[in-house]
Amino acid sequence: MIRMILTRLISSFFTLTILITIVFFMAHATPGGPAFSILGQKATPQAVEQLNQKLGLTASLWRQYVMWFWHLLHGQLGYSYLLNRPVRQLVGDCMVNTLALYASAMLFSVTLAIAIGLIQGITWGRWPANLIRLLELCFYAMPTFFVGTLMILYLSVKWRIFPTGGISSVRISDPGLLDYMRHLVLPVVTVALLGTASLSYYFGASVHEELGKDYVRTALAKGLTFRAVLFRHVLRNALRPLVTMVGLAFPYIFAGSVMVETVFNYPGLGYLLWRSALSQDYPVISAIVLLIGCLTVLGNLFADIVNGLLDPRERYE
Amino acid sequence: MNDGSVLRLNNVSVALRRGRGDMVPLLDQICLTVNQGEMTALVGESGSGKTLTSSAIIRLLPRNARVSGQIWLGNTDLLRLPHGEMRKIRGRDIGMVFQNPLAALNPSVRVGAQIREAYRLHTGESDHAAWVRACELFDEVGIANAKKRLGDYPHQFSGGMRQRAMIAMALACSPKLLIADEPTSGLDAILTRQILSLLTRLRHEFRMGVLFITHDLSIVQKYADQVHVLYAGRSVEWGSSEAFFNAPRHPYSRALLGALPGPGQIRLTAISGALPDPEAMPLGCRFAPRCAYHKAECDWCYPKIDNKGTTSVACGRVEDIVSVHPPKGMPSPQYFRSANDGAVILKIEGLGVDYRLPARGILTALTGGKNSIRVLDDIDLTLRYGECLGIVGESGSGKSTLGRAILQMVPYDGSVIVDGIAFGRMTRSRRKMMRRRIQVVFQDPRESLNPRMRIGDIVAEPLRLAGEREYREQVRRLLDRVGLHARILDKFPHAISGGQAQRVAIARALAAKPAVIVLDEPTSSLDVSTQAALLNLLKDLGHQDGLSYILISHDVAAISYIADTIAVLRSGRLIEVGATAALLAVPGAEYTRQLLAASFLYGKKGTVQLAVAPNSGSMGIPS
Amino acid sequence: MSGTTTPSFRPIGGRVRRAIFSGVAESLGERGTLTAGTVLATLVVSFCLLGPIFCRASPYAIHVGDAYYPPSSQFFLGTDQIGRDELARLIAGGYTTLAVSIPAAILAFIVGTVFGFSAGLGPIWLDKVLMRVLDAVLALPALILLIFFASLLTPSSFQLILLLGLTSWPGLARLVRNEAIAQRGRDFVHASRQCGGGTFHIAWTHLLPVIAPVLVFNGTFLVGDQILALSALSFLGLGIQPPEASWGGLLQAGLNLVVVDPWWMIVPAGVMIFLSIAATNLIGQGILTRSEEAV
Repeated sequence: MIRMILTRLISSFFTLTILITIVFFMAHATPGGPAFSILGQKATPQAVEQLNQKLGLTASLWRQYVMWFWHLLHGQLGYSYLLNRPVRQLVGDCMVNTLALYASAMLFSVTLAIAIGLIQGITWGRWPANLIRLLELCFYAMPTFFVGTLMILYLSVKWRIFPTGGISSVRISDPGLLDYMRHLVLPVVTVALLGTASLSYYFGASVHEELGKDYVRTALAKGLTFRAVLFRHVLRNALRPLVTMVGLAFPYIFAGSVMVETVFNYPGLGYLLWRSALSQDYPVISAIVLLIGCLTVLGNLFADIVNGLLDPRERYE
Repeated sequence: MNDGSVLRLNNVSVALRRGRGDMVPLLDQICLTVNQGEMTALVGESGSGKTLTSSAIIRLLPRNARVSGQIWLGNTDLLRLPHGEMRKIRGRDIGMVFQNPLAALNPSVRVGAQIREAYRLHTGESDHAAWVRACELFDEVGIANAKKRLGDYPHQFSGGMRQRAMIAMALACSPKLLIADEPTSGLDAILTRQILSLLTRLRHEFRMGVLFITHDLSIVQKYADQVHVLYAGRSVEWGSSEAFFNAPRHPYSRALLGALPGPGQIRLTAISGALPDPEAMPLGCRFAPRCAYHKAECDWCYPKIDNKGTTSVACGRVEDIVSVHPPKGMPSPQYFRSANDGAVILKIEGLGVDYRLPARGILTALTGGKNSIRVLDDIDLTLRYGECLGIVGESGSGKSTLGRAILQMVPYDGSVIVDGIAFGRMTRSRRKMMRRRIQVVFQDPRESLNPRMRIGDIVAEPLRLAGEREYREQVRRLLDRVGLHARILDKFPHAISGGQAQRVAIARALAAKPAVIVLDEPTSSLDVSTQAALLNLLKDLGHQDGLSYILISHDVAAISYIADTIAVLRSGRLIEVGATAALLAVPGAEYTRQLLAASFLYGKKGTVQLAVAPNSGSMGIPS
Repeated sequence: MSGTTTPSFRPIGGRVRRAIFSGVAESLGERGTLTAGTVLATLVVSFCLLGPIFCRASPYAIHVGDAYYPPSSQFFLGTDQIGRDELARLIAGGYTTLAVSIPAAILAFIVGTVFGFSAGLGPIWLDKVLMRVLDAVLALPALILLIFFASLLTPSSFQLILLLGLTSWPGLARLVRNEAIAQRGRDFVHASRQCGGGTFHIAWTHLLPVIAPVLVFNGTFLVGDQILALSALSFLGLGIQPPEASWGGLLQAGLNLVVVDPWWMIVPAGVMIFLSIAATNLIGQGILTRSEEAV
């Protein structure tokens, strides 16, 4: 177990190094470089030269690379070209919002997925499962940004139940937690719908698969009720792949939440990434891309570890 | 009602609805009795409805099944019980032991907890009492160090121990009836005997009836009191085990017994044809299309049940048959082979194989730890032209690895010499040519044929690789040699039976014109009757065409039927090598003696008298 | 760890999709899935290609006087804020979307298959190197990579094809590689090698036909993926640039004006994206089920 974690950590380190290298060279090998994007395409060569000097971009590419890596290791992510704030601060602020959105969406969708998946797994091959499956298919093929836009159109604009976006109302002088949560509802539901559609089917399929296994027959032959077999024997085994899925689904649901944050003007990492991408603010973009890479790697590691803990066959190896 | 019987099936029929179609009858009017303290063996090939019978008894049939008849457990008809009552019967009055205990036990629940669960459910005792009971049961089934092992997970047990744990679980509430559904398939011969002895001891001790379901007649004889043979969902013959094995009366039973290989046996009886399709069962006797004594009336008359003889038989023609001499197989042209004076075709010298443990990677490299285990060590063997060398050993003995080393599929040290040339440093094309001299037939016929190639193309592949253009006629001839009709040329592997697929694999091996064919458990996934036909074919090919084989198997009986020399392998080392007849008559090593004792049908005609090892019922190999 | 340890990064997209759509195939029947998918795809494609014959309005002609018309007999799907005909823009947008997505999918398919086969059948060191690269690329969701790259250059249609094609192959590559490794250990491959079959012979006659259904299935899904990715990118303003129409861009325009409640600017574009993705997914599943039935 510990050996596995160590090996995995080492290989994650290699992966991230490659990622950092790709990101660095891509960002610095663009035509014109960052100075153009700050000053505009019509900037004079002198102005560009001046800015490059200021940003430390005149050194050789390798030197810059080493410096950048060095700074990264010390947690220094540089300054935003446009907003002129430390990237770390910017990203930190947004990260809190994203985590709140993401965590509540995951909680919501995992709970829902387990409930729906159980029904689907038990009634497999009959109409309730088929109906659920059809709904899952629809939500799965539905782009998040379309769902989000529809929600705003109907729930915010037409029926005025929820605010259209942002995280606080302008009119209220002291926006409390309640107001924040009211703003959170639509983005969370949108992200959760996407997550639920894939997770619930996956869980339903594994419940169905587990129900067909021999140990279920053994348990029934012992005289247990179906309910007891389901909750004492099947659930434990069926949940295991779900954990893996949650870990692995992280980057995909995160990518979905970039779209959702954009739709709802929700000031999270995805929104920040979008704004920075539009204005070519490389330090911010690089930082966010690296951060997502790290989180993905950690998400995978987490899934493997939890799985190892849940599965006695792996725990004892 | 109470005549000492624990379980009585009275005209039990089961039908299944497939898709939206009609009901397909799978079990037809089964009558079966299990007496107190006795073991009834329910025997049949795959697809005969054995497992369906056991599911019907505990009423765990699929949703789309319909049952009729009566199933009496003591004085209650199980089929009339409400669901709640039936649930109480399961586990309390009927214990179940399933095939493949690794799958039948929940992998993520401790074995002890699974046993306690069964006990507490029906007795309502405290957890501690259940734990004490579980310890008792583990002692009873011969698992040492019970207290510690109860806390282990199923994967930490060895195969035989797992099955013992399964039996302990079934015994938790001291049931009146134990149903054991193929409990020993997948275990090797010695473990099988141990499990059967254990079941015998337990049923005497607890006065418990045992319904033992199996496809393997050879293990039934010594342990069962009653035998009940099923064919295509119908009972064909039933009665006391002794009478049955002395004088089987139904043509199917006779053929089945004749299909079991034994040493010195001249010819096995193969049953032609295949099991009928459940959706198009013959109207009369279901065995009629394959029966050697078949008459027109068999096709449309429901077979008359004859219980006047030593056993009861569902066959209208029993009287005629008994007088007829049992059908003898054609003696093969030259059964007695000239002594081993042929040229040496394959020689193995000092062969050893290390198995590298995976997934240790970086860390092991850093710490310099040893990451391989020796699975084969110091093997010396010689194979002469036209000879069959049998390699026997239990699972994990390294016999398959030996085959793979000979085939150059795994790296090894030592040397493999074919036609006097050792594999070693040589050019790639030379190596390819050398490898072609050794061909292979694998265990799983489905795996060994590419599912997307037609049979004709599969057999033609070695010919095409050798650059031959006109292979059509050759392919036809090859198929003919392995007893297949040219009709199957254009079929895909999924459309042919397992036995046919194995013949195709042999034809493909022959196409490369090899010096040696390595047969890795070629018959172990086949039914008895199909296995017999394949063994006959191999024997014929060997004798007529002078093919040289290496036959790898766990089945001593099958090996002794065709092998000229037998090598016994255990834990990667050769225990003993000798000419078949000599080795069977006077086994040198103690292990060989045990293996032989566990492997043959007792008292079968022509069987060499064997020295029987003392059977230690509770002996277990600690995991 | 046991030998069956799962690799550290797996593309889940394929797995979930495969799971979901195999379920649909079960309930619709194997024929039904393929038929439904084909019909849907034909409808979408002919809408985009043949649309201009029936809808004569120009997608770019501005009529400020006609702004914000809801659907009527004159404008079937209404008009936008500067009076352009929405139906015409939907058709033009569909054409652009397909013209970029399909070539991009083909590019990704080729790169992924070649990469996967090289890793799965080549020497071990090559596999290790290629898999490391794959891990790094897979550590980022394709959309994030796309945003990153699209921000570096404001892409033209051709660049978009390259961009989409070169960011979406890793999932397929890993799948092909794993599949190739799994299949090459099967007995029929050993038997072929024993008869003298070389690596190329085995790849061509044994592996490719066995892997083909999985390839086709994932190749079809790639088209859906590209439509989704392109629409998302255009929605973010980083893909196809206005005034050129695209489904994502139409949605974005609708969202920007959401306060005036222009449902006709939002719903049709979204539905088109949904339909085209569902169509490709259904076709892929249909083909997979059919080829599995055939064997």
